[in-house]
Amino acid sequence: MNDLELFPYPKHRLQATDLDLAASLKGLVEKQIMDKRLELKEDYEQLLKPSLGKLMVEIGLQRMFWPEKLGGEEHNEPGAAYTVVAALEQVGRADIGLAFQAAHSLALQAALALEANYMEQQCAAISPLFCEGTQPLIVSFILPAFAEEEGVPEWRGKGLQVKARRSGDTWELNGAKVRPTCSGADADLFGVWCAVEGENEPAFILVPGDVPGLTRGEEFLKTGLAASRNADLGFASVKVPASACAWRGDEGLYRLLSWYYLGLAAAASGALLATYEIIKEWGDNRVIKGRGQIFKENPLTGALMGEIAKDIAVVRLLAYNLAEILAEPGAYGDAGSLAVFTSALIIVHQAYVAAENTIHHTMELMASAGYAKEWQLERYWRDVKTVQCYLGAYELAKHDFARWFYGTKTL
Amino acid sequence: MRTIDDFSLPLEYTTPLLEPLGNIVRDWAEREVIPFRREYDEDWKDHRLILPAMDKLLGVYGLQRFLWPEDLGGWGMGKSNYFYVAVYRLVEEMARADSGMCVAIGVVLWPIVYITVEPHVNRRLCEEFAPMFCQTDRAVFSCMAMTEPQGGSDIENVELLKGSTIQTTAVKDGDEWVINGHKLWPTNTGGVADLMAVICTTNPGSDDPGDIAVIFVPADRPGVTQGEAYEKAGMAADKNGDIWFENVRVPLWYRAHGPGDDAKYYGEIVASGNMGTIAMAAGVMLNIYEKLGEYTSSRIYRGKPLKENDAVAGALSDLAATIEAVRMIGYQAARMLDRPELYGDRWSPEVVAKIRAHRYFAVDRCLEVADTAMNLMEACGADRELDVEKHWRDLKMLQLWLGGKQLCQMEVARWFYACETL
Repeated sequence: MNDLELFPYPKHRLQATDLDLAASLKGLVEKQIMDKRLELKEDYEQLLKPSLGKLMVEIGLQRMFWPEKLGGEEHNEPGAAYTVVAALEQVGRADIGLAFQAAHSLALQAALALEANYMEQQCAAISPLFCEGTQPLIVSFILPAFAEEEGVPEWRGKGLQVKARRSGDTWELNGAKVRPTCSGADADLFGVWCAVEGENEPAFILVPGDVPGLTRGEEFLKTGLAASRNADLGFASVKVPASACAWRGDEGLYRLLSWYYLGLAAAASGALLATYEIIKEWGDNRVIKGRGQIFKENPLTGALMGEIAKDIAVVRLLAYNLAEILAEPGAYGDAGSLAVFTSALIIVHQAYVAAENTIHHTMELMASAGYAKEWQLERYWRDVKTVQCYLGAYELAKHDFARWFYGTKTL
Repeated sequence: MRTIDDFSLPLEYTTPLLEPLGNIVRDWAEREVIPFRREYDEDWKDHRLILPAMDKLLGVYGLQRFLWPEDLGGWGMGKSNYFYVAVYRLVEEMARADSGMCVAIGVVLWPIVYITVEPHVNRRLCEEFAPMFCQTDRAVFSCMAMTEPQGGSDIENVELLKGSTIQTTAVKDGDEWVINGHKLWPTNTGGVADLMAVICTTNPGSDDPGDIAVIFVPADRPGVTQGEAYEKAGMAADKNGDIWFENVRVPLWYRAHGPGDDAKYYGEIVASGNMGTIAMAAGVMLNIYEKLGEYTSSRIYRGKPLKENDAVAGALSDLAATIEAVRMIGYQAARMLDRPELYGDRWSPEVVAKIRAHRYFAVDRCLEVADTAMNLMEACGADRELDVEKHWRDLKMLQLWLGGKQLCQMEVARWFYACETL
């Protein structure tokens, strides 16, 4: 049993192909990323970009859901949720930013190509971008955010960053200082949750990254997620065909986000497995109090290591539990239901709260070494926090929980 | 909105000096640090941006002369009875701008405490080293070389281990000490240090505190090698590296005090370092307060400024309440150090334990609310240009140094519950 198998997960739910994929990815990321990062650190061009290519194109994560007839793997049944966790856990173990990018791609694939909600027209239009290229197709979302002025159309209290207007066979999109969730500097395809002029119901519109009128600001510096080079965007009369609208209304977005949160929860689990490996080595080899006492044998530090392991185990189970929820729509409801969306939101927030605390504690045990880049822990700490910020304020997500569980009307 | 000056101050403790000193440092921070700090992370190795600001405060304004006797060109604060309260104020102001720079500047003074603060002034060493700090307008850096590769916080755990794990040795040879060993992580190393206070043992393996020696070593002595600085999650202005001592020779009288006293006064080093850490945490939180106030006033949620949402306001309140409490705790710690006649010797296990308790409580609370502050700013919380994420990264280090949280807990338990084997 390798160390990662110590943390339980519902192995019987995974297909042999999932286990094979996880094993392949484990080997790949160790060789491609973990063995090189002491030298290459978080270098985008030399380390992260080539790694993304291997994951998305060579391993084929960007072809996973699309139908075979369109060049995909057609792994688009709900049980693919287990595959997502098995895969992104391994990717997140090496680099959360890469898992973060992959989560975007897989969520969009799921939202469009899941067998029960298959969107034929949209899949036919965009799957070639994913299946025919030799480069990774970077997907990003534009979701509601706090507005900087009053009067901006809102969705669940936050401003819709882009406004869309339907004119004949085209959509025209406008927005300034638009903050995407991921890779604003590099993304090839944006899924934009737009306010629609004159209507209450937003639209989810797919916008290629090279469309005229779409401008990108300079990449900005941020806490972590070096694999996601983000930049603000401008939409100046960006025109896309009417068919670029993937859906109207909340259900489609809930489905997208439920799968997105699944990928992010898996990434958190992976980051924590890496944290376990780091602190285990530290605890096995460090001697404290000068009397030959191994670090892990000290009652205080041993207890904190135990708490770390407990939280890692729980996060892993939560991620797989969300996979179970998405894999069994007959039992739990469709991924586009408010019930499932709320569960996904709860799990992903809990995963990142726990991940942040766990890495905080690990850093406490390693002191300065935990804070130095050489020991690799701090990158997970920064990455986890950055994902947590991009998830949206936990303090406000609690209103989403309350809305579902207590039927609150005004929060 | 209120400003940072609306947070409570313990007015009973303040002195006429605090206001002008604080204003000088705030002005320095506004002009020399805050406009440039977003580029500090990329400057961690070279300090092209960082060093000029430190030159200004330490050298030109003369903060590095703070402790040295007046007749040697210093400001003579080592003999005052409000030294630590003044330090609290200065540290808070510096950390509001950049806690990495703050610790680098603070550590210029820290080892010097050993020989300049009443009642443990070593006049001969003052005369020896004051000129290098007082006769220049360039920053001069000192460091406290404690931590060793094999034991981490064992060195700081003097009360239990009594120096028995120290592997850096000082051997008498005629009228000189010969020092050999390896230290790592001290602030102001990585090629920066000019003067080092080195914690050594004169009898390896001994648990007699009398064998702990604190010896001052100018960094240009033959046999002293400083390694490259480590790259870290934050705190770019604070360079930390390895130091190797290979048959380094200094005069015998470079020892701070002598058998017993070096170990004893080390308690004051620990206590003052912990007090300074609280001040840094408070300074960081004050700037987060400012930044979060701006952000939550200018962003709209459900048709109103974000801060007008009750749940958000609750979190903002936690931040303000934390600053109120942490500042009071920090000033109280400083006051305990300034008034031994009321609180006991600054190096006593009681004072050390209590200030460690203050420190870890304060920093834990600050970390919690800084985490929440970033969350409230959502994606922007991770943006370098909004400054909060920088403080979040830096703040973590305040919990980790000086033996970290777990050693704090052990010292606190040891004193309050009379534990004997921790």
